[in-house]
Amino acid sequence: MRRVMAAILVTVTALSAGCSSSGVASRDPGKVVMPITRVTVPGRLYATKARTLYRFSGTRLTAMLSGIKAKDPAVTPDGNRLAVAQLNAQSSTILLGDALGQNRHTLTPSSAAEGPLWAFAPALSSDGQRCLYLTDRGKQPSSPQNLRPNDLGIWIMDTASGQSRRIVAPTAYTGGDSDPVFRPGAADQLLYTTYLYGGTPLQPVARLSWHSMRTGAHVYLSPDQARNFQPAISPDGRFVAFVQATAAGDDLEVMPLAPAYNRDPQPYPTDAAVLLESGMVSEPVWAPDSSAIAFLKLVNGSFDLFILPVSSSGPAVRATGPAEAVTHGSFLDADSRLAWSA
Amino acid sequence: MAPTPNRVGGQAGAARLVGSMNHSGARGAPGGLRLRRSHWIGLGIALLCLAVIAGVLIYLSPVLALLDSRPAVPVRGVPAPAKPPPPLASSQRINVLLLGSDNDQKFQQNALLSQTMIVVSIDPRTHQVTLLSLPRDLWVDIPSHASAKIDLAFAQGGAPLARATVEKAFKIPIHYYAWIGLNGLVRVVDRLGGVDVDILHPVLDDNYPNDFSDSGYGTERVYLAAGPQHLDGRRTLQYVRSRHGDLLSDFGRSIRQQQVLLALEQRMAGMDLVTAIPTLAKDLKGHVKTDLDLVRLTQLALFMRGLHGGDVRQAFVTPYVHDATSADGQQILVANWPAVHAYMRQLFGSDLLP
Repeated sequence: MRRVMAAILVTVTALSAGCSSSGVASRDPGKVVMPITRVTVPGRLYATKARTLYRFSGTRLTAMLSGIKAKDPAVTPDGNRLAVAQLNAQSSTILLGDALGQNRHTLTPSSAAEGPLWAFAPALSSDGQRCLYLTDRGKQPSSPQNLRPNDLGIWIMDTASGQSRRIVAPTAYTGGDSDPVFRPGAADQLLYTTYLYGGTPLQPVARLSWHSMRTGAHVYLSPDQARNFQPAISPDGRFVAFVQATAAGDDLEVMPLAPAYNRDPQPYPTDAAVLLESGMVSEPVWAPDSSAIAFLKLVNGSFDLFILPVSSSGPAVRATGPAEAVTHGSFLDADSRLAWSA
Repeated sequence: MAPTPNRVGGQAGAARLVGSMNHSGARGAPGGLRLRRSHWIGLGIALLCLAVIAGVLIYLSPVLALLDSRPAVPVRGVPAPAKPPPPLASSQRINVLLLGSDNDQKFQQNALLSQTMIVVSIDPRTHQVTLLSLPRDLWVDIPSHASAKIDLAFAQGGAPLARATVEKAFKIPIHYYAWIGLNGLVRVVDRLGGVDVDILHPVLDDNYPNDFSDSGYGTERVYLAAGPQHLDGRRTLQYVRSRHGDLLSDFGRSIRQQQVLLALEQRMAGMDLVTAIPTLAKDLKGHVKTDLDLVRLTQLALFMRGLHGGDVRQAFVTPYVHDATSADGQQILVANWPAVHAYMRQLFGSDLLP
């Protein structure tokens, strides 16, 4: 009887106290949904949903690479070459093809002597001749009885010859580095995210890193004991957009880049760089003409694609209008990069 | 002579009427119909009430099935809870011990370790919630047992002994417990439609235990990219459970567990709980146990829905413990107990046990 009374009391309490929400957490519709008034996307913008690659162009949406579980698309600025990470059961490889994803070939092995391999986050040079990517190649064989680190390092490949080499070795047991990108106009420079631990007690941190392949120099562009990640460099190479984690969420920020670095910039120029505040933002990417930044943002439980118009003609970048939603309630893959070409 | 038959007829009619009155006490046919209608209305209301009660019970039966009644007889050798739960109308702090276990087929179901131990402390006075993670390898005195890692308390005496151990070691009165198994977490997350988490580091684990393989002894490779993303149940489990690729090991895992707990709370805040809870409870049968009663559960759920980001405080005892090896060769964590208790006073003020 006590349970009966409790049940009734609970139901009445729940209903009267507004236990029913406004229904903000939406469910995955299983497809890409675009708003009734579609946003016109200049050029070709790529994103994935449920590991299927989609191309947004104008107001059209096209599914690509049928049968391939795709992650992290990358394109050359002219859009003529397209790379993705292909996910397999226990490994992944980098595929490179033409603008339509045809005539593709596999750049990286799915396994080697050290065991099955991961490969993610390809980034193509402007001429498509070189490809940065992440892999755990070179790790030591590991087993439950003999655990060894298998963090991701940054490698570069000559796409014509298939020759590759590691350019950044990861710090063990951090997960490794992420988000490598070439700096347009400075062929030897790249930016990426370094994952580390900092503070007392140790906490996970993420720092923006600048690296010169010519000199081997490495410089942090963001402070310790903070989380700044996913750098995206403007097509003219002058600015970097990135995500900064704060107590309130993940903000979209942008800061200028010096022509080169020989020591950490002090103070780190990230404080006055907020473009978009609050919420959860990920995977920024610049329009090929620098007129906008696309990103994924969490809205009502769904990561959707947004485009923020910006002006970068002056010494700083500023938004020139509100961000517009390209998709609505589509649950796009927020762990997969965006790519944008002419 | 027309009046006579009329009179006779009138008398006969009167006699019939009197007889009828004496028999039934009613005033004739129209009055009798009204009475039966009121009966029907009363009966209808009663049936409607019964139907509502039955409907509520059917609706909440999966939830009721999850709730353990508090054991009337104390478990032998296990101290009773140090303090009874505060009354419903009270504004006193309420502490719930969350326990999580690997409960796949390779483990004895009646002797599971508690790989996750988090004290959720709800303080209505300050409208604040504190999440305190307790490291599973912490060496403690287990009441009526030998000293051991704290995760063994649940295996040796279930939730009552885990509760008593935490109360003794940390001086925190534990009013309720809630236990969840591996599949339970996966089901909760999937039923909620996934959770949105900003993954702190890339997660790479070439030797992640494949709990869902036939034997339970297999391993699989796990990769989760860093950054904000939407996780389904299985990937959430991978995120909170993997520790092979994390320099912070169990501490790193505690950070991730609290992060997912907060993400779940946020996800539930955006859901229609009236329809979600019974379905969720049905899914969770056998995967979740708690001694929270239904009224308290609802009270806490409503309280949690009113929380904002700044209302939640995350706490860890990591600064006050150090690595050591036990006499029998186990890798353990040893606490600086005076420092731990000073930290507890900082977190819980005067709400601690003497």
